Amino acid sequence: MNTTLTLTSSAIKMFVRNRQALFFSLFTPLIIMTIFGLIGFDRVAKIDIGIVSSSPNVPTKTFVDNLKNISAFNIHTDSSDDAQKALMDGNRSIVLIVPNDLIPENPSAGIQPKTIVAVSNASQQQQAQTAITIVNQVLDKTSIALSKAPVLFSVENREINVRNLKYIDFLLPGIVALAVMQMAVFSVAFVFADYKEKGVLKRLLATPVKPSQFVTANVITRLIVALVQAAILIAAGVLLFKAHVIGSYALIFLITLLGGIMFLGLGFTISGIASTVESVPALANLIVFPMLFLGGTFFPINTMPDWLQKVAKVLPLTYFSTALRDVMTKDAHLSDIKSSLIFMMVWAIIFIVTANYTFGFEEKRL
Amino acid sequence: MPNIIEVQNLTKQYGSFTAVDDISFTVYEGETFGILGPNGAGKTTTLEMLEGLKPITSGQAILAGLDVSEETRMVKSLIGVQLQASSFFDGLNLKELVETFASLYGRNVNAMSLLDKVQLTDKAKSRVKELSGGQKQRLSIAVALVNDPKVIFLDEPTTGLDPQARRNLWELITEIKTSGKTVVITTHYMDEAQVLCDRIAIMDNAKISALDTTINLIKQSGVSSSIEFKSSRDIEPWQLEKLPAVDRAVAEHGRYQIISSDPQTTLPVLFKAAHDNNLKLTDLQLRQPTLEDVFLKFTGHELRE
Repeated sequence: MNTTLTLTSSAIKMFVRNRQALFFSLFTPLIIMTIFGLIGFDRVAKIDIGIVSSSPNVPTKTFVDNLKNISAFNIHTDSSDDAQKALMDGNRSIVLIVPNDLIPENPSAGIQPKTIVAVSNASQQQQAQTAITIVNQVLDKTSIALSKAPVLFSVENREINVRNLKYIDFLLPGIVALAVMQMAVFSVAFVFADYKEKGVLKRLLATPVKPSQFVTANVITRLIVALVQAAILIAAGVLLFKAHVIGSYALIFLITLLGGIMFLGLGFTISGIASTVESVPALANLIVFPMLFLGGTFFPINTMPDWLQKVAKVLPLTYFSTALRDVMTKDAHLSDIKSSLIFMMVWAIIFIVTANYTFGFEEKRL
Repeated sequence: MPNIIEVQNLTKQYGSFTAVDDISFTVYEGETFGILGPNGAGKTTTLEMLEGLKPITSGQAILAGLDVSEETRMVKSLIGVQLQASSFFDGLNLKELVETFASLYGRNVNAMSLLDKVQLTDKAKSRVKELSGGQKQRLSIAVALVNDPKVIFLDEPTTGLDPQARRNLWELITEIKTSGKTVVITTHYMDEAQVLCDRIAIMDNAKISALDTTINLIKQSGVSSSIEFKSSRDIEPWQLEKLPAVDRAVAEHGRYQIISSDPQTTLPVLFKAAHDNNLKLTDLQLRQPTLEDVFLKFTGHELRE
């Protein structure tokens, strides 16, 4: 036991001194979180509208300025040619040709109906329709104002924060799961393939230490790292990106450990299969890379096509990120995430068995 | 001297290839035992079977009364091992490395005094990758000593080192030997075996072709010594052949060569005769047979070819 303890403390020293490992386990996930956090998929994109109106009279100009104040719009005042070109290039959803005297300067002198011609981009119909609807509303209001009719109806909008799930809340558990997976798979696969290639494992075999003691020390080390990763990433998500974590930290701890064990098993399996250190990245990426996108890290798997969902629903990362997300965003209890945990356990057992099969201190090939 | 290692009919087979073929030998406690042979002779395989690193195909190896294949872990705790190409953790400095290895034996060790023994005290905070070839081998020996082993196995410790680093390592190995430990060393350098070993097994083609003390091996080889000199006056070769233990004598351009089976008998008589006849012998050289000659004799080919 004393031996395992000393080995663990040595393994921790080695991990912390390995800049590459630190970079991939902490820095990279933080960068990914920052980039995706800044993109902010929950903000609706503004609609680009071109307005052609060469020399509008004062009330018409006021009308155009009012349009500019609508937050959903991104108004560009273009010349006729520019507007057409921008529309053709797909840089505008819609172009509105506004007559200079759309709104009369002197309404009491009688009002002639005027028409705004809207040229819309067929490939951005949704945005164009939205724009037309809003512009119509503004025109209606203007008509009412001009005809001096009383405003009879209005809608009052009151916002209430009902577990307002933002994208960062969705992203954070995914990033934690992703980071633990990358760390567990790569740090084990690289380091152990290297130990094997350089003869470090053979040298250990010449001592009375049991291989299981050495493996245990390295597993404990990486589980500690996994928990530290989760803690740092969650702290960064909450403090820097205002993410909400409402679930139980004990459950997050448990899921992280289980996820760590699962992917460490995968790491040992890969280091056992890899005949050289050079073959590790190819082999590891082959398995890990698809999970990056299909494992429910960046977007929910129910947005994928059906057949892809079937694939996603067998990946170990999917269950890891789903369990974490259920706890962190929905305050799920142990019983709610039972099926995810069972799937993770099944994967953990599969990987531990394959690791036993492929990984050894001596050359052991499949 | 009691036997510390007994090897009987040891054989290692890889499929149809026999790496070690039915060898037997004994190593006495406290001696330095050399296994000399060319690359591919089976030296390393033999060592790795004794160290419990490779399973034995057939035969038996007993170390300190323990059967290596049955009590492998016990045996491992009694021996110190330097592998031919061992490397260590890059992430630890030398002091931490020595301490980590000591913990593998469940021991606490004074790492600094051990590093001092191999002259690496000033490198205690360095990493392995910062060491030179000779320093790496010295570290490897320090690590092999962490458990105060009864037997220390060194597999070609000086291969690839420059002459100075080799001398340095020889001194270290001699010190270890003086401290009473049994040393088993493989080498393909004749001079190394001659300097370090009490007894030598000559291994070639998976078999041991000769085993004896270094001196006896040379004697057994039947290769004679040659005494060469110049003389102030001419001597007839037949006069030289009358000297004791001389097989034959040749004169060539004022230079004389005597082939003697025992220079210790021949030389005093030669000197006395020279003195009596007022002859001045110059440029005197004694060439004794080396293990190189012995190896050629026992295996029928040169060591390095």
